[in-house]
Amino acid sequence: MTWLLSSPGPLTDVGRSTLAWFAGWWRIIHFGALILVLALSPSSYAGPNRSALARHIYQDTAPILLWFIALSSLISLVIIRIVVVTAVSYGLSQFALEMVVRVLVLELIPLTAAVFAALRCALPNAAEIAEMRTRGEFDALAQQGVDPLQREVLPRIASAMFSTLMLAGVSCVVTAVLAYVSVYGFTTGAFAGYTRTFGQIFNPAVSLIFALKVFFFGLAVALIPVASVLYDPARARVRTSVELQSLVRIFVVILLIEMASLVGNYY
Amino acid sequence: MKDQPSAASPPAANLEFKAALLLALLLLLMAGTVVYVLYARGAFEESQRLVLIADDSEGVTVGMDLTFSGFPIGRVRRIELTADGVTRIIIDVPRKDARWLRESSIFTLTRGLLGNTALKAFSGILSDPPLADGAERKVLAGDATAEIPRLVADMRELVRNLTALTAADSTLAASLGNVRDVTEKLKGPRGALGILLGNEADAKKLVTALDRTNALLAKVDGLAAKADAQAFGPEGLVPEARAAIVQLNGALTDARTSLKKVDGILEDAQVAAGNARNATADLAALRAEVDTSLRKVGRMIDEVNRRWPFARDPKLKLP
Repeated sequence: MTWLLSSPGPLTDVGRSTLAWFAGWWRIIHFGALILVLALSPSSYAGPNRSALARHIYQDTAPILLWFIALSSLISLVIIRIVVVTAVSYGLSQFALEMVVRVLVLELIPLTAAVFAALRCALPNAAEIAEMRTRGEFDALAQQGVDPLQREVLPRIASAMFSTLMLAGVSCVVTAVLAYVSVYGFTTGAFAGYTRTFGQIFNPAVSLIFALKVFFFGLAVALIPVASVLYDPARARVRTSVELQSLVRIFVVILLIEMASLVGNYY
Repeated sequence: MKDQPSAASPPAANLEFKAALLLALLLLLMAGTVVYVLYARGAFEESQRLVLIADDSEGVTVGMDLTFSGFPIGRVRRIELTADGVTRIIIDVPRKDARWLRESSIFTLTRGLLGNTALKAFSGILSDPPLADGAERKVLAGDATAEIPRLVADMRELVRNLTALTAADSTLAASLGNVRDVTEKLKGPRGALGILLGNEADAKKLVTALDRTNALLAKVDGLAAKADAQAFGPEGLVPEARAAIVQLNGALTDARTSLKKVDGILEDAQVAAGNARNATADLAALRAEVDTSLRKVGRMIDEVNRRWPFARDPKLKLP
């Protein structure tokens, strides 16, 4: 006790780091609000900003789209097969399709898409921004009268978000088709039954939670890395640790969103 | 590295077009998904309402199907609990499927053992008038799990009966004990007789009686053999009787002959009666012959009487 009182150093450190943690999250939220305002202002989509946005959207999504579809299809096929075979062996084949759709389309594929977009798109974008800032390009742009947030940051965030939504959307559709083909084969005869099952799963609450989840996944993936590199104290820190920190933050947020969606769907 | 953004930027117009394409694809995807989900939930179908009244809506969930012959024809839209504690299951039935529901249709709510619940419609007479929009029907609950408590109660009753039957002081145990006593008696020296007669003394008497009967039968047997020998043996009664009858036949033949002669003699005597004088000469000889014949007959009768002791009337009547 006396030791604790006489040496308050560690306690001060804990308090400081907690404060820094909260401050970090607050900066991210603040940055998100800032970007939202920029995204809603029409000037962000005019002239050079628009072409920058178009370039980033295309460059961040198109090259990885086919790869991701192939990868997610492979994973989906394996999981669909496992689920269907297990369900059939227990005599519960009527629940197999519902389970496949719930497990893959509702939960796993959006999660995978978010992680994939974060690794392939958002983190490299954040690294680019950090590099540009280190090189002083932001200052140069500001001197030219151009808002660097609008010209360089917003397109990257928007493209990362778009990438997440696109990957999740396309692969969900592909997985839904794969699930149908895996369970019923190449026939259109079971389409009515499949549609009915789909309709039963996607009731209004589940649909809303699904849409919100994918949206927040995209938001977290796009915002957190950029906010981390922009607002991280410019101390003598190795950049990789910033990236790592943003990655951890992304995972934490994705986990929280996933938990919230599960609670919303099943409780 | 410094000129990376500019080096990596192809012609802007092309990029904008491709980006627009991607955006359009995403929008199309989202719009298509929304439309498909709405279609899957029956938002584009005209439907009519059916209200099923149930005592218990356990297992019924919003969105579950109402099936007819295994085909889903309706979807649970809402479940309400009324003020009087009755459950109202509100079902949307698409107009195109409503033709399967008739005024006489029956609705059942069945629960399987695994808790899977099914709402089913049965329409026996499809020529009945169609079910009106907003119709209210009682739903019949067929519950597999509801049978379990009754089954358990029956099982308990059965087990109790079985316990009573197999208890140490039960009638079954007593009967089995008696059976064991009986079998032990069967294995005993008196066997089944001891069981039938009840006590040892009577059984002993019966055995003694049987022994004596056996001895008696043996004696009777010997007696019968002797009687047989006496009656049918070589010097028995029957052969002698047969010889006597043969002799008797002979004697009778002789007697008949003698009598014929007597007849003749009498005729002669009758003839001689008129001429007695003439007859007196032969009378002595005649008397002697008659005497002889009579003696023979008398001997024969004596013989018969000696050999035929059973004759009731030993007298021989002359004609």
